[in-house]
Amino acid sequence: MTRWAAGLVCLAVAVALVLMVVSRQLGGPHHAPAAPASASGSVATSAAPAATSAAPAATPYAQRFATLCAACHGPNGRIATPLTPVLAGQPSLYVITQLFLFREGRRGNEAMTAVAKTLTDDDLRGFSEFIGTLPPVAPPPPAAPPDPVRMASGRALADQYKCVFCHGAGLAGGQQVPYIGGQHEEYLQASLRGFQSGTRPGYTPAMTGAVSQIPPADLDTLAYYVARFGDSAGTLTRQ
Amino acid sequence: MKQVCSLAALATLCCIGLPALAQQAPPPAAEPGWAKGRPKTEAAMQMAPIAAFPIPTAPDKLPTSKFKLPPGFKVETWASGVLDARGLREGAKGNVFVSSLFVANKVYAIPEQGSHQAKVVIDKLPMATGIEFHNGSLYVATSTKILRYDNVEDKLDNLGEPKVLYDKLPGGNDHSWKYLRIRDNKLYYAIGAPCNICDPGPYAKIYRMNLDGTGIETIASGVRNTVGFDFDPKTGDLWFTDNGRDWFSEELPNDELNHVTKPGQEHFGYPFCHQGNIPDPEFGWGKSCDEYVKPAALLGPHAAALGLTFYRGKMFPAKYQGAMFIARHGPWNRTKKYADISVAWPDGKGGARIEPFMTGFVENNSYLGRPVDFLVLKDGSMLVSDDHGGAIYRISYAP
Repeated sequence: MTRWAAGLVCLAVAVALVLMVVSRQLGGPHHAPAAPASASGSVATSAAPAATSAAPAATPYAQRFATLCAACHGPNGRIATPLTPVLAGQPSLYVITQLFLFREGRRGNEAMTAVAKTLTDDDLRGFSEFIGTLPPVAPPPPAAPPDPVRMASGRALADQYKCVFCHGAGLAGGQQVPYIGGQHEEYLQASLRGFQSGTRPGYTPAMTGAVSQIPPADLDTLAYYVARFGDSAGTLTRQ
Repeated sequence: MKQVCSLAALATLCCIGLPALAQQAPPPAAEPGWAKGRPKTEAAMQMAPIAAFPIPTAPDKLPTSKFKLPPGFKVETWASGVLDARGLREGAKGNVFVSSLFVANKVYAIPEQGSHQAKVVIDKLPMATGIEFHNGSLYVATSTKILRYDNVEDKLDNLGEPKVLYDKLPGGNDHSWKYLRIRDNKLYYAIGAPCNICDPGPYAKIYRMNLDGTGIETIASGVRNTVGFDFDPKTGDLWFTDNGRDWFSEELPNDELNHVTKPGQEHFGYPFCHQGNIPDPEFGWGKSCDEYVKPAALLGPHAAALGLTFYRGKMFPAKYQGAMFIARHGPWNRTKKYADISVAWPDGKGGARIEPFMTGFVENNSYLGRPVDFLVLKDGSMLVSDDHGGAIYRISYAP
């Protein structure tokens, strides 16, 4: 449940050591009452005063996820809507960076920004921590088998452009890097194009730089391949 | 700074800005600049730069009570909730300005009196990292531009549009953020290497310009990435920290503390020689470390030595007056983590003696806080920014 916070110290630290600090950073699940949002969020979140946090802080974020997020993202974090990303399997550090970008209005999505602006710092921690516990959900069987030629070129492109450098051999991400294997093709395509055109800011400039030299047609092939990655590899597995 | 290196292809640097840079900059790389030279071992492959956490640490969770200082010194939390707090500079009318890197994209003003609530005075400005205050104006350097906001302390609610002093910085992601100082009506800044290790062309230098953006001159060459420099109040000499290359090994090379004695004429080694005595395994062939100026002191492997400030106050004991404080932000690409505030004394022979000053930033091999920059206040106390915790601490001395 605390994977995201591990990332803030270092990707390479032994997990056991990291977890000790994580619990300090988080202050545990009952952190909220001890640290009013107005104290830690006074600067970054002036648009999110504590009063807008309608749900009691003690409410488990599983419950709040069910009422606030599940309608669009699915109760288990995967829904068929092409442009609604799969949350299941995402590392919590990645999730909190994206919620932060939505709340700041930097990542352009009106619906998500509207939701995120109601969230306090503690909410961001709580939701991302909960979402980080959602296990990966395999995509439904495809209507047609993947085109082997396209899959082969996608695999070659993923190698050429070093996707696995950060996303890992299983495309399962980790820490601040998202789980992309089996993500919706349309969402992947929009994301890759957005990174390249500058309409989709990342938390770091990593993706903007990574895709800057990739021809658009190759971006689409990558999206095709990555979306079907679980099928070609046999299973969707976390690293 | 190394923790915020990016995956950018070098080619992005070539597309923007200086024509001269565009012609000479390295060709597109097949791998991210920061990853160049990374061994293909599992332990190394798991290491990648990390940015500051998107939420400041709650005040009661800050590590302030864990810091250790020499006898007589005290540290307290001066401000909290300052997301991504990086550079510190003092205004003339009781405000401290705080910059940030790409997490916050903001510049804050914090009144020195009262409860030290940070007010966002510049927002949505990517890499608003280099700041300096001079004659009522706030100078802000991003990776592409140098801006000047006039009479800032009289209009903190709305700074208005800045004057663009210079818009031909090369941009890019690797080591492109800035650190600024003004001395004798010259603005000093650096252009860091656009990679971990590469032929940097016109990058990897410290420059200065007139305050209107004209008259650019090279001050020092062979500087991989400096994000901390200051002038010795006694001699006027420039001293700077420089972040050494990554992936050579866990223990080498060290970051450097360097001393400029002949402005414009000295080369400090990058990419040919590291820490004064290690030829680069690729770029060092045909070169000798004796061709380059050696560091005044070594600052530790992958230390991410950032802010450097000469202590000009009177509150600290005499031994610290005229000494340099150096923020060691701590490594991202080294298994064992460390971070501290060190203090260095010029030895009068071109070198410097160093000892730790404030420790306690690391617990169980994880960062509780990471120091970035300093500001000596008029009363002689010293502020320290922490981008990891989103906080500013105040160090004072009472015998």
